[in-house]
Amino acid sequence: MGEMKDESSVANAIETINLEMTYRSGRVDVPAVQGLNLTVRQGEFIAIMGPSGCGKSTLLHLLGGLLQPTGGSILIDGIDISRLSDSERTTVRRKKISYVFQRFNLFPTLTAKGNIELAKKIHGNGAQNSNGIAPIFEMLGLGGKFNFRPSELSGGEQQRVAIARAVINRPSIILADEPTGSLDSRNSHTVLRMLRDLNEKLGQTIVMITHDSEAASTASRVIEMKDGRILTPTSRYSYEPEFERLY
Amino acid sequence: MENLVTANIRSRPTRTFISILAVALGVILMLVVGGIVSGTLDDYLGRTMALGSDFILQPGGSSIFYAFSDASLNQKLTGVIEGLPGVAAVTPVLSKFHAKGFGLVFGIDMESYNKFPGRLEILEGTPSLEGDEVIVDQAYADAQKLKPGMTINVLNHDFTVTAICRPGAVVRVFIPLETMKMLNGTPDKVTIMFIKAEPKADLDTVYQTLADKFPGNSILRASDPNLLLAETRLPGLNEFRMLVVLVSMLLSFMVILLAMYTTIFERTREIGILKSLGASRRFIVGMIIQESAMICGLGALLGIAVSEVIRFVIIARFPTLQVSMTAEDLLRGLVLGLLAGTFGALYPAYKAAKMDPVKALSYE
Repeated sequence: MGEMKDESSVANAIETINLEMTYRSGRVDVPAVQGLNLTVRQGEFIAIMGPSGCGKSTLLHLLGGLLQPTGGSILIDGIDISRLSDSERTTVRRKKISYVFQRFNLFPTLTAKGNIELAKKIHGNGAQNSNGIAPIFEMLGLGGKFNFRPSELSGGEQQRVAIARAVINRPSIILADEPTGSLDSRNSHTVLRMLRDLNEKLGQTIVMITHDSEAASTASRVIEMKDGRILTPTSRYSYEPEFERLY
Repeated sequence: MENLVTANIRSRPTRTFISILAVALGVILMLVVGGIVSGTLDDYLGRTMALGSDFILQPGGSSIFYAFSDASLNQKLTGVIEGLPGVAAVTPVLSKFHAKGFGLVFGIDMESYNKFPGRLEILEGTPSLEGDEVIVDQAYADAQKLKPGMTINVLNHDFTVTAICRPGAVVRVFIPLETMKMLNGTPDKVTIMFIKAEPKADLDTVYQTLADKFPGNSILRASDPNLLLAETRLPGLNEFRMLVVLVSMLLSFMVILLAMYTTIFERTREIGILKSLGASRRFIVGMIIQESAMICGLGALLGIAVSEVIRFVIIARFPTLQVSMTAEDLLRGLVLGLLAGTFGALYPAYKAAKMDPVKALSYE
């Protein structure tokens, strides 16, 4: 039994055990995540769906170590980050996790290349060189856009730069928060295809939050959340979200 | 590699320019005001020493800035001092501040004054100093465009320039002692007495003799610049210089504090992004300190350059004013400008490092 647990821990990129997150609003406790148990295997691409306020973003922030849970545990590659200090969680995030945001969150004063070099610098991964950037730009269809600032790029291109920034340091896990939420359908398809390629070709573990069931269908597993809890883990082919059925 | 720090500085040119200008202003204040104070003091000390006296007798509590001193020494002491063992020469001086020329005027007895090595060395005109005659030094003559035979007004009295002397004879304008006493309304009193010891006399012995003979008076040893400076009473001068440094540093500190504090709020979301990328608190603090150090460095360099220009302009327009700016002063300006700015950035940097990443990321 013990052996089996160890083996599964090694194979898991993410594991949450009875995860709790309660915000304090004035004198009222507001539970955002309640007793959540989730396991994501290495190389898995999962989508998390649910209505607004169900705790998806809180969960993503907890998984990335941006928030400290009020209860339970979060294991990232076997490391329990819920027991780490803020600076230790920052180190885990720097080494193992990357974010892709709905609003791209690129630095407007830096070029596309500068944004990626900054991520390398923070990671301590060859701050003074541009190694590895060109192939990723080619793969993401951004060749020739090296020196463009975010304001000179389309939304789709900005998101692709954000993805390039997320993968440049080869993180264990990519946490994508509504990555297609600000894109038109054509760019959404492109971004989702790229995430799938990263997952299938490079074995990249991806956890994606989305409201869009079509985007969710890109993932290998879809999880639905409601009121801070997981409702129904389902497969990509059979998934029909409960909250969409409601409307 | 493109740098976030320089990119941030370039992205807000007006804010950057104003911050640089404010830091430069602080450095200019420090260097120019400090330079004028130091220059004036050095000039006074240099010219006082150039006379070649060994001792200066003043009333107790007087200042080397003779204008601050009362005319309270009895001129009859001249004869007493001349009779003391080891004393070769003594000359009484009554000094007054001449506001129009922003300098001191000495009322002297030219005969005894010229017994000193740094006597009035006449470059042009006749060596005469009686009644309403005045002798000015070359720097003063150049500044006022004076020639022998011309009339000038000194201390609300018209004098005729009889000669122009070499600069360095303590002050720049000399009138007869008797005339000065009359103008001052003190017929028997003088401000100071310069004393020269005999060449072979032991200076410590002569000093002790003078101290014993004139208790309650101040006797400065003028032959040693360090002793002269140490024994000189300069009311509040060091405090004033310190105040100028503090005010200029405070100016830089507050400008950087305000500029960086505003910047932090402006870039709240970017700080959230940095944190999401795994940037440590040290990285964020370092980035903000680097930015402010760069602004302060540029400001300090600009301040140094402008101060040098101001110094040249002052010297060109007011030859009698001295502005002292040594390499050490310039380096001090650079270091203090940088330090003030760095300290100003510490609190904003701390605020940024402590920022909640989730709140920062959702900041609009």
